[in-house]
Amino acid sequence: MSNKLVYLILLLFLANRGYSQNCTITLTGKVVDEHTQEPLDYVNIYIPESEKGTVSDANGSFELNNICPDELHIRFSHIGCEMITQFYHLTSDTFLLIEMEHSDHLIEEITVKDETNKKANQHSRKITVQEIKENGQNNLAKLLSNVAGVSTLKNGSTIGKPIVHGMYGNRLTLLNNGVTQSGQQWGNDHSPEIDPLVANEIEVIKGTAAIEYQGSNLGNIVLVKPAKIKKDPHLHGSTGYYFNSNGKGHGLNLQLQKTHHSLAWKINTSVKRSGDTHAAEYLLKNTGTKEYNVALQLEKQFSQKLFSELFFSSFNNELGVLRGSHIGNLTDLEEALQREIPFYTTDTFSYQINAPFQQVHHHLLKLKSSYFFTDNQWTDITLAGQVNNRKEFDVRRSGRTDIPAISLFQYSGFGEIKYISEKRKNTSFKSGLQFNYINNSNDPQTGILPLIPDYISLTSGGFLSYAYTPNRWAITSGVRYDNVLQNAVTITNTTPREIKRYNRVYHNMAANLGVSYRFGLPLKISQNIGYVTRNPEVNEFYASGLHQGVSGIEEGDVNLNSEKSLKLTTTLNTQLLKSVDFEVLGYYQNIQDYIFLQPDDEIRLTIRGAFPVFTYTQTDANLLGMDITARWDINKSFEISNTTSLLKGRDSHSNLPIINLPSNRINSTISYEYPDDVMVSNQVKFSNIKTSFNHQYISKQNEAVALLDYVDPPDAYHLYSLKLSSTLHWGATSTKVFVDIDNLLNTSYRDYLNRLRYFADDLGRNVSVGVIVDF
Amino acid sequence: MRTLFAFLLLAGTVSFFTSCEKDDPEIPHEEELITTLNYTLTDPNGETVTLTFQDIDGDGGNSPTITNGTLSSNTTYSGSIELLNESEDPIEDLTSEIREEANDHQFFFTSSAGNITVAYDDTDDNGNPVGLETTLTTSDAGSGSLTVILRHEPEKSNYDVNTNDYSNVGGETDIEVVFPINVQ
Repeated sequence: MSNKLVYLILLLFLANRGYSQNCTITLTGKVVDEHTQEPLDYVNIYIPESEKGTVSDANGSFELNNICPDELHIRFSHIGCEMITQFYHLTSDTFLLIEMEHSDHLIEEITVKDETNKKANQHSRKITVQEIKENGQNNLAKLLSNVAGVSTLKNGSTIGKPIVHGMYGNRLTLLNNGVTQSGQQWGNDHSPEIDPLVANEIEVIKGTAAIEYQGSNLGNIVLVKPAKIKKDPHLHGSTGYYFNSNGKGHGLNLQLQKTHHSLAWKINTSVKRSGDTHAAEYLLKNTGTKEYNVALQLEKQFSQKLFSELFFSSFNNELGVLRGSHIGNLTDLEEALQREIPFYTTDTFSYQINAPFQQVHHHLLKLKSSYFFTDNQWTDITLAGQVNNRKEFDVRRSGRTDIPAISLFQYSGFGEIKYISEKRKNTSFKSGLQFNYINNSNDPQTGILPLIPDYISLTSGGFLSYAYTPNRWAITSGVRYDNVLQNAVTITNTTPREIKRYNRVYHNMAANLGVSYRFGLPLKISQNIGYVTRNPEVNEFYASGLHQGVSGIEEGDVNLNSEKSLKLTTTLNTQLLKSVDFEVLGYYQNIQDYIFLQPDDEIRLTIRGAFPVFTYTQTDANLLGMDITARWDINKSFEISNTTSLLKGRDSHSNLPIINLPSNRINSTISYEYPDDVMVSNQVKFSNIKTSFNHQYISKQNEAVALLDYVDPPDAYHLYSLKLSSTLHWGATSTKVFVDIDNLLNTSYRDYLNRLRYFADDLGRNVSVGVIVDF
Repeated sequence: MRTLFAFLLLAGTVSFFTSCEKDDPEIPHEEELITTLNYTLTDPNGETVTLTFQDIDGDGGNSPTITNGTLSSNTTYSGSIELLNESEDPIEDLTSEIREEANDHQFFFTSSAGNITVAYDDTDDNGNPVGLETTLTTSDAGSGSLTVILRHEPEKSNYDVNTNDYSNVGGETDIEVVFPINVQ
């Protein structure tokens, strides 16, 4: 599923050869593979307005004659590539250089230098618009989980957060449209408040230190961004409908965009609704979801030098939590562990979401302006505000179920100014200042002492980064500093309750150095080293209280120090026999003062029974991992690909494993694409007919600590999935259809990283059907 | 340079208006918190023994206090449970909350000593037992413990409600307290 995608064209050379009146324009061009720059033959080039078309030759070249000067669209399609439609205003003879990316470019690329030198040399993998649309039924974490080195920390099938190289929550920054996502990321059962369908493009950076971005992380970053609006004066868009058999879920997505001279707009909205999902053998009671999201995007070119964009997005959802997972104390948990089927399981399917459930609203408003001093020297100024409101409802007495047990309101303001210069050839310099203010409050209406305190945090920082890319070398370096003020107000658990204040100041540092060398086309080696510090978050300092889901009392420690991470990555990228791509990324990370929850010797007696106590403690940790990605194009139609992720982590003092690390996993896909179009009639045809079969093996986490857990980690499991997709052309409209069967054999399994594994099996078979119409 | 200056000015303005000191939070009114369970046992002569579990500051903080009971052998007591929230002023009586939602609650009584049995004396709207009112019978002398459990939303249709066996009941435990008992 991870594959298939387009990428774009970018270069466009216009050569004026005099003005031609009437229909005498000649359009010539060349189509090449974006990665290898090799010419692509048999590319279909078609102009719907004039119904003219041609096919590229062995050199990738094409020519179309007798075109009238006009505004028109040109369509490029090729086997294995996603169709590209571009708008042109032709006034004279024109030459086009088109770059097409193979839709199934699984291989992960090291971006040596992208247009803004963002993550020079850091390892990144992009998930593009088409890929997201074709998996529109999935949440962000699931979508990313096919990338080598990325897995998901789940709380049932609906709640999931991404884990990159073993880092998640407070150790992984999510950037929503260039702004650090500001929500309640500390919670293991809190999904990121981002709809991938609204986001368009997602990029995972498996890095050593994030220089350019603010936010707490230890090197890895997930970037979520909307696509640029196409420069097309006509109304275009796409609409998609998705159906999931498991949970009887429906999803609808609509995207519209248009450019009006210098002003472009885009609107993207999605609505999703799903009911109780199904494990292989029984219904999972109260696991429905409701979601509605909208994003508005405006781009205005004020002058040659000034460009501004305004972005607003609103994310709203309600997620049911398995009823049988709501427990009181250890006895209840032990009882639940003994059961094959969770309590409250019935056969009656329902869309209704009852307690326990989560309700989240997240809004983002962002204004960004770019001012170009010259073509290769500019400044970006960004201002953004976010509002996050999270409510969690539990089963409570005397009508209090309607009152949230956790109710957090957070607002934040972000400002950034960046200066980028690419004045000299092969060099890129970037610097910036950033400022972020977060204000987090608990609603006292809950009638429960808050799990995390009210706080204000103010982060001010800046960075410098420099990249030098002569010939086959790429050298990147950067430093960053952040000053963090944290003002927290806690409520003690003594009687009477008292208010206690904490004021802290932190200095976070990050530095990164990367070198890569390309030994001719088939081999490239990159080496990165990065150092980064992270201050403890409020939950690690002040958490206090019973975490009902895991039947334990969690206590923060006000004396924690900052974590200090040193990470080393080595990437080897090679191409064998032209048809085999192979990449291996090895990493080693040493984290000093690694913060984790450690069980105390104390068993605390409460009126609800006795509970184990877990305290946030520090140790030193070492992580060693490897991501392998391989792809073999057997011929034009058949392709085999594989991603393997390996990871091991140890506490260097006790030599015990680190908790919640993904186990080793192997993901293999074989796909076949029918090389020709299938004509149904003159007007109707199917193209890009493709089928793929996927096998996923998740090993047992043998590196788990019995002390930290109530049961043994679940056994290893195998999952199979099958996907069928094609594009149906009906006159001028094209419709993408797909059928996707997950967990084909309806296997019963439990996953180590799913907290609900104590209570129930993971999802059973799911058949999704999707229809996407681009217009 | 001008843009930089403008930015710093803006950042300065924002930080000036947004104070860095968080206001004092309103302390939540913990009206749902059960701090105290009193199990009052009255013998036929009107003599009472009260077993009390009290933890006024809730989870954490100070340890709870437990009052042991000494019962007479071969005696039938009528038992009555009272639940209080003593962290509030005035003290809240939460027993009525259980009585109003009797359909969704049940107490369970188990004893490690074989000399104590508890039978239900009250019912909910569906005729199922609740356990706020009980009859406790002692036999021979001996010592052991008595465990009182309150389950919220047990699946009353799924088990034999009249026994004190809670092993297949489901729901969540709101109360689980153990009283050392001496029967003499």
